[in-house]
Amino acid sequence: MPQIRMLADKVRLVSEPADKFKTGCVSVSMALPMDERMAANSLLVYLLKRSCKAYPELSLLSGRLDELYGAVLGAGVSKNGEAQVLTLSITSLADKFALEGESIQLEAAQLLADVIFKPNVKNGSFGEESLAMEKRLLIQRIEEEMNDKRTYAFNKCISYMCQNEAYGKDKYGTVEEIENVKMADVYDAWKNLLSTAVFQITVVGAADADKVASVFEKHFEKIERKPAGIETVFIQRGRRFNHFEEKFPVNQGKLVMGFRAGMQHRRDNIFAMTVMNDIFGMGTYSKLFMNIREKMSLAYYCWSRLVASKGIVLVESGIDTDKERKVSAEVLSQLSDLRNGKTDPEVLESSKRALREKHTFTTPEGILGWYSAQVTCDEIITPDEMVSGIEQVTMDDVCAAAKKLSIDTIFMLSAQEEAENEV
Amino acid sequence: MKFKKYTDKMLGETVYCGKHSSGLEIRVLPKEGYSSAYAVFGVKYGSIDTAVKNASGEFETIPEGTAHFLEHKLFESEDLNAFERFAKTGASANAYTSFEKTAYLFKGSDKIEESLEILLDFVQNPYFTQQTVEKEQGIIGQEIRMYQDLPDWQVMFNMLKALYSNHPVRIDIAGTQDSIAQIDADLLYKLYNNFYNPGNMVLSIVGDIDHKKVAEIVEKNIKKTEGAECERKFEKENPVPVQDYIEEKLSVAQKQFMLGFKEDISEPLLSLEDEIASQIMLEAITGKSSPLFKKLLDEELIDMGFGAELFNGFGFSCVMLGGTSKDPEKASAIIKEEFARLNEQGIDSAAFERAKRKLYGRMVMSYNDIDDTANLLMNLYFNGYEPFAEIEACKGVTLEKAQVRLSKIKDEYSALSVISPIS
Repeated sequence: MPQIRMLADKVRLVSEPADKFKTGCVSVSMALPMDERMAANSLLVYLLKRSCKAYPELSLLSGRLDELYGAVLGAGVSKNGEAQVLTLSITSLADKFALEGESIQLEAAQLLADVIFKPNVKNGSFGEESLAMEKRLLIQRIEEEMNDKRTYAFNKCISYMCQNEAYGKDKYGTVEEIENVKMADVYDAWKNLLSTAVFQITVVGAADADKVASVFEKHFEKIERKPAGIETVFIQRGRRFNHFEEKFPVNQGKLVMGFRAGMQHRRDNIFAMTVMNDIFGMGTYSKLFMNIREKMSLAYYCWSRLVASKGIVLVESGIDTDKERKVSAEVLSQLSDLRNGKTDPEVLESSKRALREKHTFTTPEGILGWYSAQVTCDEIITPDEMVSGIEQVTMDDVCAAAKKLSIDTIFMLSAQEEAENEV
Repeated sequence: MKFKKYTDKMLGETVYCGKHSSGLEIRVLPKEGYSSAYAVFGVKYGSIDTAVKNASGEFETIPEGTAHFLEHKLFESEDLNAFERFAKTGASANAYTSFEKTAYLFKGSDKIEESLEILLDFVQNPYFTQQTVEKEQGIIGQEIRMYQDLPDWQVMFNMLKALYSNHPVRIDIAGTQDSIAQIDADLLYKLYNNFYNPGNMVLSIVGDIDHKKVAEIVEKNIKKTEGAECERKFEKENPVPVQDYIEEKLSVAQKQFMLGFKEDISEPLLSLEDEIASQIMLEAITGKSSPLFKKLLDEELIDMGFGAELFNGFGFSCVMLGGTSKDPEKASAIIKEEFARLNEQGIDSAAFERAKRKLYGRMVMSYNDIDDTANLLMNLYFNGYEPFAEIEACKGVTLEKAQVRLSKIKDEYSALSVISPIS
């Protein structure tokens, strides 16, 4: 069971210590509304990651991490419901492996806090050169989202489906917004982050939660907190059927089908939804794997994914472009079977067993991921509570959950007639 | 069955190594406090095995992609397929094929012994028919198409094609649409019987299981008791690449590159010490704390994804560096200059120490993960090393050794692979 304590207003520390791990991980998740600050926030998190007062250059900070036995400093931006979540984290070796008796864990936690609270700022500036570089890197990152067509198509389907909701926006903000960010905006984003973001500090493995708490508490004492309210819009039913297509010079097309899951909040009917989605298209016993891949030989992959934080389900598959109708019709026909109880009862048991395994985390990163994803939730649920809930799900619950799915948007990334990739 | 015990006190881990009378090698690392286990059953048969030795001792050519095709097909059987069987224990099962091996695996926390029996059983019981082979040609055909659209994958394979004229490391792991069309059930049985014998295999398990139990299960489930390790033919390659530049146009946002340096080897395998010395040397010269990284980043020639690694196996060894760049040729020239400069002036000793400490830390960290550890033990065995040999080798690497490894990197043995956007 995790320990939970509050360090300040909406600053929660969740910890699950375990001696069996050779590392300690601390992650700081910072949730903000998806508003006009998104682009500045994104730039900010990467600026924070590259240096701090004590190590004012990327090469110096990287060198410090190497000295800490290859500690890994991570930074990222994600969407969690309609919150933009900035994450900074550090993973480092347990103290017992230090060659000179130093406390790697404490130094790593302090370094992480320094990166967030004591950045390399002079007179309200992170340095024009650093900002210019991070702008270039972030814009490149966004432009390169097209390189991986699978992820690109997945995100594109969401952006079409949720075009009138905040969730339809790119997690980083747009290229144009990033180009227009000024130094004062980034500095303001930093001040705003410290006072208004909803924080969760998650501590797992060999890290000492008390020490981590006291490191962070000190910093929050000096900050006047005014946490922002974060709300996510849940749309119950899909609009009438929408179809979008983009053509690219590729070998394989990507089909993504977006469904509304009929949820009113992220934990609404969550146990049945989780099992339903698993039977629909997650496991190797699932309807999509068994039929689209194994029986019809149409695809190498065809999965469904439940995004509970937004109440949507997405089905994705890599297929020949001319098979789009055949595959999408089969996906809907499988969904219809699922709704109508045409599922082997043994599959329900297989699904429960597999889901129990999926919630048995074997790495500190896995545990960390489970808890930090709950940054915006008032109540923390444990993997065991999730498993207990899943155990109670019946086939009727699964059918009822499947009946709540309604198709909203189909996005097809099609292969142009002639792919000209010749070596 | 007798086991030999290897303990690393610093790490706090013990590995039991045994050899079953059938010739099967076994590695078991029981992990305290873990409720899951990960098992991998590996065969020394990968994509580089494009020839088999016949009765008269000559090597006969086989189609490209057979190891991978067999990997897919072994999951099938006359009644319940392997996935259906694992669904009853809840374990998640998978398999992968690499250049030098095929590996079948599962991970689970419940009914571990039963899952282990299924793993051993399904890999030992092939079942192929013309119909199931044809079905798989469709699925693998889609898998090949998917990889053809992945720039990260293509940039590397194109580089290998440019570097190597004969060595099969230059071919795609899954083969081609044409080569897999040549595969039929008879050929699969023939290759199966050639490679899948206990003397050519290893079983590696990490987690909540003990070696005596593993021995019992192996004793009961291993059928064949004959056969030996399969021989590979080593043909020394001319170190000069086929071509020094290769370019492909794909649907990408920016140019991507990979610069490869082929090593002139006279023995098929590098020593583990050489391998690790190269990793440390590359980290010291190209890591985020290095002057080279800073220069490339400042000149906008790379992004944060830039990295370098040694890539080696039976009969091949090369250093590869790459990432996204607006000017791959300029980036390559700067990298080559830096290698030349450090060949003359010597690697900075502080940078070397930092890189070594980082690698040591990362090696210890990897023992957190039962998946990584089981695969590591398998790989060490296939390359002729005992457990923990990598940590010992890391401790023993000197600056001089790293310097020697740097001297093997030669401009005249290099090739540049570029993926550029379709305009």
